[in-house]
Amino acid sequence: MSLLDDAVSVPRRTMTLFFLIDTSGSMSGNKIGAVNDAIVNVLPMLEDISSSNPDAEIKVAALEFSNGTKWLYNEPKSVEDFKWIDVQAGGLTSLGEACLELNSKLSRSGYMKSASGSYAPAIILLSDGGPTDNFDGGLQTIQGNNWFKNAIRIAIAIGDDADLDVLARFTGNSEAVIKVQNIDALKQIIRIVAVTSSQIGSKSSSAGDTSKQDQVIKDVNQAVDNIDGASTAAAPDSSSYDDWD
Amino acid sequence: MAELKAGDKISLTNGGYVSIVKELGRGGQGIVYLVKLNGEDKALKWYINPPDKNFYKNLQNNVIQGAPSDAFLWPEYLTERQKGSYGYVMKLRPQGYYEFGNYLLAKKSFKSYSAMLAAAMKICNGFMLLHRFGYSYQDLNDGNFFINPNNGDVLICDNDNVMPHGEKSGIMGKARYMAPEIVAGSIPDKYSDRFSLSVILFMLFYANHPFEGAKVVGCPCMTESFEKKFYGSEALFIYDENDKSNLPVQGIHHNVIRRWPAFPAILRETFQREFSQEKLKNPQERMLEQNWEKLINSLRDSLVVCPHCKEETFVEKDGKCMNCRKDVGVKAHLKMGNRELLLTPGTALYIDNDNIPDCRIEVNPNDPSMMLIKNISPNAWTAETPSGKLKIVQPNECAPVKNGIKITFDKTYNCEIVTH
Repeated sequence: MSLLDDAVSVPRRTMTLFFLIDTSGSMSGNKIGAVNDAIVNVLPMLEDISSSNPDAEIKVAALEFSNGTKWLYNEPKSVEDFKWIDVQAGGLTSLGEACLELNSKLSRSGYMKSASGSYAPAIILLSDGGPTDNFDGGLQTIQGNNWFKNAIRIAIAIGDDADLDVLARFTGNSEAVIKVQNIDALKQIIRIVAVTSSQIGSKSSSAGDTSKQDQVIKDVNQAVDNIDGASTAAAPDSSSYDDWD
Repeated sequence: MAELKAGDKISLTNGGYVSIVKELGRGGQGIVYLVKLNGEDKALKWYINPPDKNFYKNLQNNVIQGAPSDAFLWPEYLTERQKGSYGYVMKLRPQGYYEFGNYLLAKKSFKSYSAMLAAAMKICNGFMLLHRFGYSYQDLNDGNFFINPNNGDVLICDNDNVMPHGEKSGIMGKARYMAPEIVAGSIPDKYSDRFSLSVILFMLFYANHPFEGAKVVGCPCMTESFEKKFYGSEALFIYDENDKSNLPVQGIHHNVIRRWPAFPAILRETFQREFSQEKLKNPQERMLEQNWEKLINSLRDSLVVCPHCKEETFVEKDGKCMNCRKDVGVKAHLKMGNRELLLTPGTALYIDNDNIPDCRIEVNPNDPSMMLIKNISPNAWTAETPSGKLKIVQPNECAPVKNGIKITFDKTYNCEIVTH
């Protein structure tokens, strides 16, 4: 039975899930606490998705940005090896610099080296404010990156002060921006977005002309409907018509 | 959509109901719950986002028509629409069956080549019957099969996309398993099922993907547009006879590199033919399931227990054991039409396609130079000696392996022993 016993796993492509986390001063308190808690708790779910998936292995990378940028680890790690280190909040919102830093790693000489190739990454951006640096320059640079262009990109806008326009420009689609208004919704949405992006991003595509990004947006938005305090940025805002009742 | 909770009662279209016990798992389309139906354990697939009216109607139709074979975890009952969705009830998957993905990830492996061939036979037989019923499966991929590694028994799940041939379920399939014409935008049908079937069989035997070689692994980022190219317009078999640009890569495609030369030539030739550029472009020319069954029979017929190392081996023209490389020394075979079933002590013979061995070859305890063919089927055989004497071989009885003895199995299959 040597030949049957000698089998090794089929080669799997890598799907890297990037968390881009705003750790500016305004995130301090229970916002950053909720982010830390939600990511720690979603990792075992991603591990399950990865370990039973013959199409792809899921890796995780996390970049925090405030006055500057910092990767949690200097390479994407297999989800089972990725140990979350709680991030702390303080400082400005260098989203432009984060785009440049991400751009430098979205290449085969950076983080996207894998012997059996990759699927396009999934990038989840979390922010509660607006950039304080040259976001336009950073965005313009990363928009020229093929990995970025093909990535699943979802943004989570925390609270009322998040700059929805900036997040929509980052994701390329206002429907890919999910607004959360409370801590519980934030935790649930982080879980749903991470799980959905990993499931869809790490599988060979399954529907005719719908892109993976569109599938993720559709699935996430369906889930959003059931969560109090979460909405899609594109949802009609009727709050200013309350007095028309 | 409301998720269901333990104790919820869900009404069925036949007037009965199931009660929810617990969640068993969830996927992209829905959640599977353990339920009780009149005290019996069943599984309920409950859609997260209920598909449209036609889908419901089709499920209803499939419930009425019934399963094509026992290989299918087929929808048995449909629920009424309630709580913003609906679902269907099916048999619970028994213990000991593992998703095909586990085999691809090398977490599970077949206990024997016999088990591997039984799995292949069961899959082909299931799809033959499914197509004979006028259905097409539409979304055949690695997630649809649960396999028992010990005996190769297979359960085919996710039968909710099964549609009458030619009708559109709206599901396109999964890129690495879709036929090139479906990747290019056609509607899945039985011909595209046959393509997906050949991919699954290739992966079952060789444990790598038939189109993933040097070309595909060289692609740094498998975007949707590259998927369309590598699995659609420019799909190229890794062992294409005329184009060597997509050969498997050492260190990456380990399994197929080891198994391709070791497994029988008829298997290589069949895949080279089925995945040739000509056949990829002509869906109607794809091999019928019954011809896959014939191929699997030929493989089975050449699978014997090596008298030296006692391992299973396929015996080809050189007569050597694929494990110990010694001469197997086959001394007899059973001739059945075009089939030649090789006989060595310890080898089990499969006369029909039901995956249950009918005979086992043993050594005569009183004369080690003589082999016996033992009836391990539930039915008596009739045998005729070269001199014309008629004998009955009851279950658990043996006939000697002597040149010219003719045996009729199940009153249907006529064979003759030929010694070398």
